[in-house]
Amino acid sequence: MTGASANPGASLDRRPSWLPEINLKRREEMAAWLFLAPFLVFFVIFIARAMLAAMQMSFYDWHALRPSRPFVAFGNYEELLRDDVWWLALKNTIIFTAMTVAGTTVVALAAALAVTQPIRQANFFRVLLYMPSLLSVGAVGLIWVWLLNSQFGVINHGLGFFGIRPINWLGDPTLVLPALSLTTIWWAFGFPMLIFIAGLQGIPEHLYEAARIDGANGRQLFFNITLPLLRPTILFVTVTGVIGHFQVYGQPFIMTNGGPGRSSYTVIFYLFQTAWTSFRMGYGAAVAVALAFIMAIVTVVQFLVISRRVEY
Amino acid sequence: MVSTLQGHAWHNRFWSYLVLVALSLFVFMPMLVVISQSFMTNQEVNRWPPQIIPVNPTLFNYHDVLTRQDLRLDLWLRNSLVAATGHTIAVLVICAPAAYAFARLRFRASNVLFAVLLVTIMIPSQVTLIPNYLLMRDLKWLDTFNALVFPGAANVFGVFLLRQFFMQIPHELEEAAVMDGAGYLRRFTRIILPLSSNALTALAIFVFLGHYNDLFWPFIVTNSLETRTLPVGLTILNSAYGQQFRPMVLAGAVLSTIPILVVYIIFQRRIIQGVTLTGGMGGR
Repeated sequence: MTGASANPGASLDRRPSWLPEINLKRREEMAAWLFLAPFLVFFVIFIARAMLAAMQMSFYDWHALRPSRPFVAFGNYEELLRDDVWWLALKNTIIFTAMTVAGTTVVALAAALAVTQPIRQANFFRVLLYMPSLLSVGAVGLIWVWLLNSQFGVINHGLGFFGIRPINWLGDPTLVLPALSLTTIWWAFGFPMLIFIAGLQGIPEHLYEAARIDGANGRQLFFNITLPLLRPTILFVTVTGVIGHFQVYGQPFIMTNGGPGRSSYTVIFYLFQTAWTSFRMGYGAAVAVALAFIMAIVTVVQFLVISRRVEY
Repeated sequence: MVSTLQGHAWHNRFWSYLVLVALSLFVFMPMLVVISQSFMTNQEVNRWPPQIIPVNPTLFNYHDVLTRQDLRLDLWLRNSLVAATGHTIAVLVICAPAAYAFARLRFRASNVLFAVLLVTIMIPSQVTLIPNYLLMRDLKWLDTFNALVFPGAANVFGVFLLRQFFMQIPHELEEAAVMDGAGYLRRFTRIILPLSSNALTALAIFVFLGHYNDLFWPFIVTNSLETRTLPVGLTILNSAYGQQFRPMVLAGAVLSTIPILVVYIIFQRRIIQGVTLTGGMGGR
């Protein structure tokens, strides 16, 4: 297109002499496709093709180590419907997601409300509280698997001061999901906190002043001004939270390896198991497509909730 | 009237500090315990009640984790940094021109193409894992940097973000350049890109951090000790030594965290602003 040699004041048509004359509209169109080309190459190969290939693979009994790949139509999906481990993984994922999104939202809102008060160290606290969000799931897992250790863990030690006997956090099927959820809340509340801070700063101060003059107390200000005006923010935070935490994988992978038994299997963990431990690529593709289907439904429902008008 | 307002303010500040101190303890205690125990001996860590302050602080664990034959924290860190940097550059180079085309240029099928991108952003990326893994295998890219850098370089979210940003730049600035005879490439590189440094930096930081912290993809496409990335290495460290040598594992966790915390301390303002700007790349 244009080179560094362009001289100011040249005419609009700066085509090299060997190029035939083309009109400006055609030229804009060509420029657009040239700008798009690198992106489209990668998009087509690694996203569009891969998504279609996953759908196609899910109709085959595709084992990574076997040469024959018989077509089984909906066989993988029929198996999925009868697969107890899949349903358990889905149930675990839903429970984990619900606890984690609720927990991060509450903690993040509390933190954001505190940080947006006129206090001197506000920025210091904001920077500090966002810190865990930067750690890799590897580091988070190593830290918390040790804190939650039933024999020597600091958390059980702390609970001992309140007369609570040591708890086998990661070894008890009923406690493992709450324990992983607590870990995740610690790790991930920073993002919703920053979003809430932005949301809170968007609420006009004069609303509070007017309400205060009318004699409203702090609790009334919160429930009648802050919370209603924060509704779009709360919805954004919960939607992104559900989408993000539904894809949980690293925490059980590092901290429990899906155990005890299968009580911390999640959908993505199960996807990993089927495709890379059992080498069942076709069945794994069916798991992935089913996940996409479920997430699409969840997302559509949430968007419908969001798109309802918020009244001020 | 004045006194009630001040009363509110005092009351609010009290609760703010209470919440912030409690949350800071919640955030910091785990880190402090782990840092502290990484300086302890094995015997000291495996003791009830747990010790928080090391009696005889030792650097043995740090030495140990850096010198064991089957652990290569130095290489893993280098791999993570190189791969994340390469990936970030690829994303910016590929996505920024595409975003410019969507923001400024009229071309046939632009709406259709944009709708296709919108649909794919709703589909969880895990759907692409198996086909892309098989592609890596067929290309003989397993265990190479290519596998860490190029898949995912077409970051649809990045295109949306940059397009949104480019659209806010006044047309007049570009029109002035057109008068000077600038073509599309020059308008893009001389006007649009310099005016978008905030958005580009925010995107770069998040693509970098996301890649640096990724576990699943590097876990499946690397398999030799020398090509692992840091998060994968940490899981290996944990499963190999978690039972026997806990303080050494903790030392590994601390070491792995230092680079990211240094980046954070330098860029904290940009990172904090960037999270809100990018919507945290769609959350975690």
